[in-house]
Amino acid sequence: MLRFIVRRLLLLVPILLGLSILVFGWIRALPGSPAQTLLGERATPQLVAEVRHQYGLDKPLPIQYWDYVKTVGSGNLGTSITTFRPVSYEIRHRFPATFELALGAMVFAIGLGIPLGFFAAKKYGSLFDQTSLVGSLIGISIPIFFLGLILKYIFAVRLHWLPSIGREDILATRAHPTGFFVLDAIIGLDPGGLWDAIRHLILPSIALGSIPLAIVTRITRASVLDVQHEDYVRTARAKGLPPNEVDRRHVLRNALLPISTIIGLQTGLLLSGAVLTETVFAWPGIGSWLTAAIPNRDYPVLQGGILFVAIVFVLVNLIVDISYAIINPRIRLS
Amino acid sequence: MSVAEIEAVDLQLEGAPSGLWREAWSRLRRNPVAIIGFCLVAFFALIALLAPLIAPYSPIDQIGFSQCTVSGCPGPSSAHWLGLDLNGRDELSRIIYGARYSLLIGFVSAGSGLSIGLVLGSIAGYAGGIIDTIIMRCMDIMLAIPGLLLAIGIVAMLGRGLWQIMVAVGVTNVPIFARLLRGSVLVQREQDFVLAARAVGVRRRGILFSHILPNAISPVIVQGTLAMATAIIDVAGLGFLGLGPTDIATPEWGSMLTQVNEYLQSAPILAIAPGVAIVLSVLGFNLIGDGLREALDPKLRGRV
Repeated sequence: MLRFIVRRLLLLVPILLGLSILVFGWIRALPGSPAQTLLGERATPQLVAEVRHQYGLDKPLPIQYWDYVKTVGSGNLGTSITTFRPVSYEIRHRFPATFELALGAMVFAIGLGIPLGFFAAKKYGSLFDQTSLVGSLIGISIPIFFLGLILKYIFAVRLHWLPSIGREDILATRAHPTGFFVLDAIIGLDPGGLWDAIRHLILPSIALGSIPLAIVTRITRASVLDVQHEDYVRTARAKGLPPNEVDRRHVLRNALLPISTIIGLQTGLLLSGAVLTETVFAWPGIGSWLTAAIPNRDYPVLQGGILFVAIVFVLVNLIVDISYAIINPRIRLS
Repeated sequence: MSVAEIEAVDLQLEGAPSGLWREAWSRLRRNPVAIIGFCLVAFFALIALLAPLIAPYSPIDQIGFSQCTVSGCPGPSSAHWLGLDLNGRDELSRIIYGARYSLLIGFVSAGSGLSIGLVLGSIAGYAGGIIDTIIMRCMDIMLAIPGLLLAIGIVAMLGRGLWQIMVAVGVTNVPIFARLLRGSVLVQREQDFVLAARAVGVRRRGILFSHILPNAISPVIVQGTLAMATAIIDVAGLGFLGLGPTDIATPEWGSMLTQVNEYLQSAPILAIAPGVAIVLSVLGFNLIGDGLREALDPKLRGRV
């Protein structure tokens, strides 16, 4: 097991190295030199040369790259040119919002997808099964931002059941020590705050969770159908175990194995989707922050943000791989 | 009847061995879901082709601007079936012309991603060794950045615009196809018929093109159809984020949704119409992809 983890960690090194080269190359390829961007209209050739020297842009590329790795490695991702706050500060304050949203979406997708897929497989070929299949195809065909707009229109604008934007009531003055509003409300024993945070979380979670829901449903259905005909299930039935017990202890437990890999694969989708969901619901996370940075040409934000998201993505996949190996011995032994 | 005669009758009953494609086609024809998909895609393709003939108005001219007030433009009426957009343009005409942009962008970006991925994947799979390692590590790095963010990064680098979006979405598709084809080629490379071809002295390129690729291509076709669906969604997503065509009058479905985010209460039809168009066209490709996957599944072969 240890060897497996070490091997996976070592594989991380070339990926991170490549990522840093990619992001570094990307900054250099952006239109307009950074010196020009910083100076704006005041740029004279002399000033530009000075700024280039100040930021080390006149050094050879390999040395610039090394400087870049050293700065990023020390946790310094630069300063936003629109808010003048350090990029790492913004990430620290915005990441909990995105994480909470992604978690909400996952809870929605798994909580609903597994029972749906399970019953679709149990009632194979029935109307319920057909509906769930068509439903999941429609689910993956709806763009997140469109679903978000429609949910917002129905439940916030028309019915006034749920809030349409933000993470908490606009007049709320609660303290948020962890940045995870649901967790903060639980720690602070504040039922009002908890309800407020959950109400704000519902619509964005459904919008972001729609595609994972469709995928989880389909995978669960397929793997339950596979597992149902395995010898050990037949044996369990033959020895007289009640059907519910067979389903719970043998069918569902084995069918859930592929779901754990899907969670890893969905992380990228969730992080991509968060950009759109957060824009629709004015959710103050990493996604809406990156979107706002584009028209402002806030390159330090884009660069730091994209690098951060990529690293999170790689790490989540690593964790999923390792936990999968713990659950399923066949993987780590191969 | 001798044994040979019985065997001959059996052989006759089996008929001529049909190819993978013919079998797949006959399975596809009987799949109602795939047929619906084909109809949806054909419908949008026709609309895109015939846009100038069927659109009642120009998609760009602000023909109804004089009818617009501070509170918005008039909604659906007999003259404008889907109403006017926020700038007094006919919404239905914009949706119709939008089919051109969305299908074209989807096709070009999925197609370019597929071709480059195909080349890289087959080289990696067939050459093996150091070339394989270098190509696949590069693909891994690209896959480490979530698709939409990679596309945003590329658009930030190239500037906004239609071509830029196509490149961005195309690039995000490359590693997916490269991986898929490499895996497929690796499986085919070890097959007996490849060994046979090598034994009789067929050149490496000949083996790759006439023996390995035709057999490795079916998962790529399925993925290609699904990539069309994702490409349309991704392009609309980039448009929605404001990275679409530089001319905001361009009737691209995603960009049309951006402008209505704040006007949901007064003009919901302006959000629903382009959204439904996106959903239906994407659904069409997803249904075809799903049908193709079933039709080409080797496990189901022979069960026509």
